[in-house]
Amino acid sequence: MNLSVNIGKLGLKNPVMTASGTFGYGEEYAEFVDLGSLGAIVVKGLSLLPREGNPPPRIVETPAGMLNAIGLQNIGVESFIKEKLPFLRRFNVPVIANFFGDSVDEYVGAAERLSDVQGIDGLEMNISCPNKQAGWLVFGTDPEVTSEVVSAVRKVTDLPLIVKLSPNVTDIALMARVAEDAGADAVSLINTVSGMAIDIKTRRPKLANITGGLSGPAIKPIGIRMVWDVFRAVSIPIIGSGGIMDGGDAIEYMLAGAAAVAVGTANFVNPTATMDILSGIKDYMTTNGIQDISTIKGGLIWEREDL
Amino acid sequence: MSRFFQAEVSGNIHLSQTHNILKLAPLQPHVRPAAGQFYLLRASETLDPLLRRPFSILRWDDMHLEFLVRLKGRGTLLLRNMRPGDSIDMLGPLGNGYPEPLKDETPILVAGGVGIASVFPLIGSVHAGTRLFYGAVNSTELYLLDDIKKLTGHIYISTDDGSMGFKGNAVERLIESLNDLAIANPAVYACGPEGMIAALLKFLNERGIPGYISFEEKMACGIGACLGCVIKTGQGYKRVCKEGPVFDVREIVC
Repeated sequence: MNLSVNIGKLGLKNPVMTASGTFGYGEEYAEFVDLGSLGAIVVKGLSLLPREGNPPPRIVETPAGMLNAIGLQNIGVESFIKEKLPFLRRFNVPVIANFFGDSVDEYVGAAERLSDVQGIDGLEMNISCPNKQAGWLVFGTDPEVTSEVVSAVRKVTDLPLIVKLSPNVTDIALMARVAEDAGADAVSLINTVSGMAIDIKTRRPKLANITGGLSGPAIKPIGIRMVWDVFRAVSIPIIGSGGIMDGGDAIEYMLAGAAAVAVGTANFVNPTATMDILSGIKDYMTTNGIQDISTIKGGLIWEREDL
Repeated sequence: MSRFFQAEVSGNIHLSQTHNILKLAPLQPHVRPAAGQFYLLRASETLDPLLRRPFSILRWDDMHLEFLVRLKGRGTLLLRNMRPGDSIDMLGPLGNGYPEPLKDETPILVAGGVGIASVFPLIGSVHAGTRLFYGAVNSTELYLLDDIKKLTGHIYISTDDGSMGFKGNAVERLIESLNDLAIANPAVYACGPEGMIAALLKFLNERGIPGYISFEEKMACGIGACLGCVIKTGQGYKRVCKEGPVFDVREIVC
């Protein structure tokens, strides 16, 4: 059974990755998961300087999902390199640093610094978090700005560059093509879906930030559809995410066109979710006589003669 | 030993229409808790409700863990309806718990409503002179009184409606009686609703009395990864699930 997949020049021993922001810096889950068994660890989003994030309440549960407005709280690139990376290097697992900025210069600065150090195997550009203040979202929703920021980062790094796309756009296939043309080695999708919840007793928003990002099983159909749209639009690999709770969900994403999957909110519900999902993928392969996981990518049968 | 394990419901006592005590028997080796720590309980295999629910550890022995559950929504309704023999998966013990009182300190426990669950393990166990100020909306929402009375005679009851004990909340009762009690070196250990905690923080800061408060916040992971449960402290946001749930009052920014 061959579980290995490639994300550009980055080889993964299996297709199960963690989704940024849901796995801390890895150490939080080390007691529950053999980190070396993961396909890759994508760490919490990093900015050049530390960020405080949004005031609480930051999360609220919704039907089969949750809204969050953490606001990209993080320890900053330098602290990550000094305090967190040495721990992650103890494990035989690719480390992908997710990063973001408020300007093209900040994106470039973070990418340069992260590319400078040993032990980071790939970069994931977050141009899509919905929890920042107005003006920021444009990086992930305006094709011209997306092209500019991805091109600028591409020039300063030789690491595999993954661009994480926002679902909060009209045409995600267009955004993926723009990222590919600007030099991305892969795209990951989807980030959270912009949402909102109101306390009807107080008539106040349930999140201090008013709006937040919806994640969890509630958004899985959106993620699947967008992966399918993007799969037909680009030739670079896709990392699928959004509501993956078990092996079957991961397979669904791969049939839609994902080369690998990123597990997010499921980690909160079940700290061993990544391992359970990996085991579910193996079971599916055994049951269906699949020798190589990469052969199911985009394997959706969609010309339905019986319709 | 893992902090992620399966348990079987060994008892479920309905105290009222809104509160029950869930008694769980871990089926695997588990880590022993400390007072003030909490667990995340998952009552359902379905995806809705999705997240686990956090509960302070009320009481434990070698075989069992007990939790006081207040009915708030669908998650707690599932926990309320569990029957002996049902299985549940658990994550815990989590968080830091209450610090040991210093040798010359007299612990004063302050509990509002379901906050009694958090301070309950401290009653009668930390100091012979420990006092408990316990308040609720009315007399029917004061739970575990028989158990408490077996552990301490120093109990001061209050109810918002005056149906039992002092009319007012536990902090008002504490403020009124602190001088009369002439307690040497008081140190407060508290858990309760937001309004009560705000009043308590103000009082402790004004009087320079040391205190430790267990906070409640919405949380997802319980292990420090999601950053969903932070509160504001003098050193920036801290995670209730990891650096808390118990915080020194000097850390808290009002």
